[in-house]
Amino acid sequence: MTAALDEVIHQPVRLRIMAALCASEGEGLDFTHLKKLTGATDGNLGAHIDHLTKAGYVEATKAFVGRRPRTTVTATAAGRAAFARHVAFLKEIIAG
Amino acid sequence: MSVSRAQAGAELAAIDDVVKRVKQSRMYRLTGQITILWGVLQIVEYALVSAAPGTGQAGSWAIIDALGVALTVWMISRLRGKPSANVMRVIGAFALFYGFGFLWALGLGHLGGREQEVFWRSLFLFGYCLAGLWFGYGFLVLGLSLTAAIFVVYLFAGVWFPFAVAAVSGLGYILCGLWMLRA
Repeated sequence: MTAALDEVIHQPVRLRIMAALCASEGEGLDFTHLKKLTGATDGNLGAHIDHLTKAGYVEATKAFVGRRPRTTVTATAAGRAAFARHVAFLKEIIAG
Repeated sequence: MSVSRAQAGAELAAIDDVVKRVKQSRMYRLTGQITILWGVLQIVEYALVSAAPGTGQAGSWAIIDALGVALTVWMISRLRGKPSANVMRVIGAFALFYGFGFLWALGLGHLGGREQEVFWRSLFLFGYCLAGLWFGYGFLVLGLSLTAAIFVVYLFAGVWFPFAVAAVSGLGYILCGLWMLRA
């Protein structure tokens, strides 16, 4: 694994989204939960998820639970690998 | 784009914070489901014992507890990560709780029926209290509040004790479990 700055993940809200999704061990997290974890507004969070989806780092699936729509976001293998490279890059900077 | 050490440190701290919160949330969700399960089982146990008073009590208690342990182990085995290590820890924890409980309730303590009810319930709630010191105050709140409620029932419920202790403990577990799911 090569440590590298990832411009997509570097943004603070996207960093939190990726950290949360990678910590959920492949289970994925719903939109409401992600909103709580990132502190972002609905619109802001939606835009960042779109950005990560276009980069191929996350997948968003929409389903109905009862009558309510629920969006679940999951990190892809490419997303988890990119996040690991980004974290390695940050650790390299700290290590000097 | 260059990243300073301070920025890198802040990003890593943000990652740690999110990871910690996700892990706690997963822990609360699983524990919430298990807590609701045990609440329902306590109410079912009371119903069974009421339907077959006397000799049926020990059998109902054993069947319901065995079912609860089996379902708890099954729920934990479905966790992602290190299921086999977690399952072994949970089986070990149940073995220790039941071993300690039987040693005192039947061996050294010579407890009466009502005292046994309170002892077993408070023994498992003590486990929640200890877990709260590591995994979050929700466990501590559950353990302490339900233990207090059960002691109040023990002191004041009189002839209604069997019904009251099952209702308070069972419904208390269910409510606390629902609260953990939302936490």
